Amino acid sequence: MAESDNELLDRYAAGDESAFEELVRRHQRTVYDLAYRMLENHADAADLAQKTFVQAFLHHRTFRRESSFRTWLFQIGLNQCRNAIRDRARLTHADVDGLPLAAPQDTFAVAAAAELRDRLGWAIRALPERQREALVLRVYHNHAFAEIGAIMSCSEGTAKANYHHAVSKLRRVLVGGEERP
Amino acid sequence: MNCTDVKEWTVAYLELDLEASLVRNITAHLEGCPVCRDEMEAVRQVLVRLKRRAVPDPGDRFWNEFPDHVRHQLVHAQGEATPLQRPSRPLRLWTGIPVRSWPMALAASVALLVGAWMLAGVLEPRNGGPALKEQPVTQSPVEGKSDLPHIVEADWEDFGEEDPDMVLVEMASRLDRQTVDRLFGEI
Repeated sequence: MAESDNELLDRYAAGDESAFEELVRRHQRTVYDLAYRMLENHADAADLAQKTFVQAFLHHRTFRRESSFRTWLFQIGLNQCRNAIRDRARLTHADVDGLPLAAPQDTFAVAAAAELRDRLGWAIRALPERQREALVLRVYHNHAFAEIGAIMSCSEGTAKANYHHAVSKLRRVLVGGEERP
Repeated sequence: MNCTDVKEWTVAYLELDLEASLVRNITAHLEGCPVCRDEMEAVRQVLVRLKRRAVPDPGDRFWNEFPDHVRHQLVHAQGEATPLQRPSRPLRLWTGIPVRSWPMALAASVALLVGAWMLAGVLEPRNGGPALKEQPVTQSPVEGKSDLPHIVEADWEDFGEEDPDMVLVEMASRLDRQTVDRLFGEI
């Protein structure tokens, strides 16, 4: 049976280098995926994923183990993402509400798949930070809303609301058509 | 349940994040409302497209080397930690035995305090003793303060960023020199 993250952390704290490698390998894809979905380019995602682990191991003694190590990594990773997004200002600040609506649904059949993907990526990048975080954690990492709240340092209800608003905005931009009253 | 209610619960319905009774009511409404069905399908399509968005795999080499990159950065970050963040390094006394610096600092502080207290006791005038109290103690440049507290405060401020061991050694030498000059010179 595989060792738990906390057992590996204990071994790392005792100076066992193999525990360090095991912990990184166990979570590297998840942390990279989170970073990539928030920053949308490989170089930034790789850099940020490394920084996330460095911060975790630098401060591993402050991890109180009230949540899982994975959740803690997500918290650190999201903080790193926020800093990166603000510092580098690489993402658009356009408000998705201001984007033009897509063509009516009957013309979607002829729209190119690549164009749709680009539009989706653009719409995701234009989401407010918190909505985007909730969306990524829910859709791509299958977190429960309570866990999303823990990661984002907000209530479960706030996490749900952020997710709901994100999906609703994407629906308006991607699918188009008139909003119903 | 009307169309507005269903619209409000659309995302939660697709996420299976509703109570069973609410799910039954929405399902019943959808069966008789094509507009709401279309809306539900539109939101579902958004979620499907979102799920399909894959992250490009950077490749095996990237993953194999990733822990080493983290380790390298970690070592670098630990090297940049400020002296206060680093664990205190053991000192090696003349015996060759490694000793942590903070117990040494504590012991030196206690020795200083005891020494100062004993000196004060020696110089305190006794009944029938030498008329030392007729010889006023030299005042410090700061009015109203005796030499000892002034020295201690000033030196701690001066050496606030220094190695505590060196501060104590330096303080002890200053305190001793000044105290001896003052006290024994007057005697």
